[in-house]
Amino acid sequence: MATDARILPLARPAPRGILRSLLLTLPILLWSLLMFGNPNSHADRLSHISGAITALFMTVLFFMMMRTHSTYRWRRIFFVSLGILFPIGFIHNLFVMRGSMGIPIEEMIAGRTPFCFMPIPLLILPAAFTRTLIFPGSIAGNSHGIAAMVALWLALTLVMGKGWCSYACLFGGIEEGVAAIPRRAKIRKLNPRLRYLPWAVLLAMVLLSLAIYEPAYCMWLCPFKAVTEYVAARNTIGLVQNVIFVLLFAGLVIVLPFLTKKRTQCSWFCPFGAFQSIFNKISIFEIKIDQARCKPCLLCQNACPNLSLSKESVARGETLLSCMKCGACVDICPRQAVVWHIKGTGIQAKSEPAWRRFPYIICAVSVLIGCVYIFIARGLFEASNPARALRFLLAACGVAVIFGGILIVRGLINAPNPERARLMFLYGAWAMAIMFGGSIIAQGIATILHFIV
Amino acid sequence: MAVFASYGEALALGLASGPACLAACGPVLVPSLLTERAGFRPHARYLSAFLAARLLGYMLFAIVAWELGALASMLPAPRLLMMGVVYLLLACVLLWYAYSARRSCAQPCADSQLVQIDENKNRGVAGAAVLGLLTGLNLCPPFVVAGIRAAQLGSLAAALLFFAVFFLGTSIWFVPFISLGCIVRNQAVMTVARMAMVLIALYYLSMGIAMLLGKKAYGY
Repeated sequence: MATDARILPLARPAPRGILRSLLLTLPILLWSLLMFGNPNSHADRLSHISGAITALFMTVLFFMMMRTHSTYRWRRIFFVSLGILFPIGFIHNLFVMRGSMGIPIEEMIAGRTPFCFMPIPLLILPAAFTRTLIFPGSIAGNSHGIAAMVALWLALTLVMGKGWCSYACLFGGIEEGVAAIPRRAKIRKLNPRLRYLPWAVLLAMVLLSLAIYEPAYCMWLCPFKAVTEYVAARNTIGLVQNVIFVLLFAGLVIVLPFLTKKRTQCSWFCPFGAFQSIFNKISIFEIKIDQARCKPCLLCQNACPNLSLSKESVARGETLLSCMKCGACVDICPRQAVVWHIKGTGIQAKSEPAWRRFPYIICAVSVLIGCVYIFIARGLFEASNPARALRFLLAACGVAVIFGGILIVRGLINAPNPERARLMFLYGAWAMAIMFGGSIIAQGIATILHFIV
Repeated sequence: MAVFASYGEALALGLASGPACLAACGPVLVPSLLTERAGFRPHARYLSAFLAARLLGYMLFAIVAWELGALASMLPAPRLLMMGVVYLLLACVLLWYAYSARRSCAQPCADSQLVQIDENKNRGVAGAAVLGLLTGLNLCPPFVVAGIRAAQLGSLAAALLFFAVFFLGTSIWFVPFISLGCIVRNQAVMTVARMAMVLIALYYLSMGIAMLLGKKAYGY
C-alpha cells in the first residue's frame, strides 16, 4: 500500500501541552457545569457537593484523555465508577421509596417501574402492532418521559453507534471492573460462535415479547435485576425468575469476566448491545486498522474487551460490527495502526491546513447554544411548565442536528486525521457520558455522602 | 343469507385477529424459517406445510368444540393442561429442529463467507407440519372466540367450514413471512436462528411445566 509523504511519524505522540489540553477540555467543563451546577435548583447541599465532585471528576478524566492521547484507561475509571455507584444510588432510592428491592406486579402495571433502556428493542414490534408501549416504566412520575428518553437515546445512538455501550450504559461498568482485577486471563481460548449469542437473544426476546406482550428479557433473563430491582416473588414462577437473574449475574458479570478479562455479558448475551451494533452501520465514527502499518501482532485482538476483533477482521482492516469504540485497541497498538476514523475519509494521519479547524468553532458554538437551551428548559421544568420546556428541548435538538450536520458534512468529511476523529467522537461520547452516567455518579456520591454525613 | 353472514363473520374475525396469530406463531416460525435455504420457493413450500398443518389443528379443535361444546373445551383446568402439553411438545420439536440443523453450520461461524446450506427437505416439511399443527392448537383469545361461535352452529360440517374460513382470514397475514427468503443465508444467520430456537424452546419448556403444575406454580 502506498504511503503518503506527509504521513506522520510512527512514534507514540508526546503528551499534549497543558494549556492546549485545557483548551480542548473547555467545552466539556462548560457542559459539566451546566449539567451539575444549577444554582436555581432546590436540591440540598449534599447534592450540590456531589454534583461538583462529579463535574470535576468528569472534566479531569477528559483532560487526561486530551493530555495523554490515551482513551481507554481514563474511560475505564469513569465506567467502573458508574458500575459501582449506580447500584448504590439506585438501591438506596428503592429502599427510600418502596422499602424493598422487590417490585410487585401492581407497581409494574401502575407504571412505577423506573425507566430502563434495555427493553427498547423489545418495544418496537408491539408498539408497531398495537401502538402501546409494553414496558411499564416512568421517569419521575412523568409518563411522557419515556418517549422523550427513547428519542434522546435514538439521537445519540445515530451519531455514536455502539459507543453507547462504552460511555452511557449503566451496567457494563460492573463487569469491566471485575475484568480489570486479574493480571492475566485464566481462560484464553473462547469459542467464536458465542459472538452470535446476543443476536439470538435479541431475536428470541423480540419475538417472545410480541407473543406474550411483555418485555420477555426483563421478565426472564436480565442479569442486572440482581443488583437493581427484582420481581417480588409471590409464586414459584417469580422465584424461578429471580434465581435465573442471580445465576446469570454471577456467571456473566462476575465469574466469566474474572476468568476471561472480557465483558462477557456484553459480548455473549446482551440483546440491547446487539441492537446497538446495527447502528454502527449508520454512525460516522468507527475504528480502522491501517494495513500499511499493521504487523499484525494481534495485541489489539487480545486487548479488545468485547471480542470485536478477529484475525479475519484485522486482515480486512476493520473491527467487527459489535465494536463498542472503547479505544482499548487504539491505545495498545505499538505501531499506531489502529486508529479512530470518520467514514468516508482516509485513515492515514496527515498534516492539514489551519482552515480545516473551522468546524471546531462551529461545534463549540452549537454545544454552547444547545447548553443554553437545555439550561432554560430545565428551569421551565422546575417551574412546572413542561410544554415550554419541551419546546426549548426540541430547539436544542434542532440546533444539535443543524450544526452537527454542517460539522459532519462540511468539515469532517475532508479531515483524514485520526486524532481529529478521536476528538470529535470523544466530545460527543463524553457529553453523553456526563448526561447519563454523570448524573448517576452524582446520585451515587450523594448517597454515600448521605450515609457519611 | 344467515349462513353467508356467519362465514363473513368468520373471515372478518380471521382478518382482524391475524396480527395476534402472527405474534403467537412468530417465535416458532421465524427462527425455523431462517434455518431453511434462502429463496422464495423453499420458504413458500415450508409455509404451505406449516399452514396446512395449522388448518388441520383448527379442524381438530373444531371437531372437539362442536362435539363437547365450546364451554367444555374452554374450562380453565383442561385448557391449561392442553396448553401445557402443547408448549412442551413445541419445546421438544424446536430443540430437535435446532439440533437437526447443526450439520448446516459445521464450518467455523466467525467466517462470514457464504456456504452451501445443507438441503434436508424431509426435515423442513415434517418440522413445518409438526410446528404448524402445534401452533394451530394454540388457544389464543381470537381462536377461543371462533371456537365458541363454531360450537353454536347447526352441524359439524358448518363448524368445520367456519374454522376453515377463519383460518383463511388469518393466513393472509402469514404471506409476508415468505420475504424472509430474501435474507442471505450464511453461517451467522444459521447459528443465530438455531440459538434463538433453543432459547425459545427453553421458554416454552418452562411455561409448559408451569402450566402442568398449575396452582403449584402460579399460586392461584
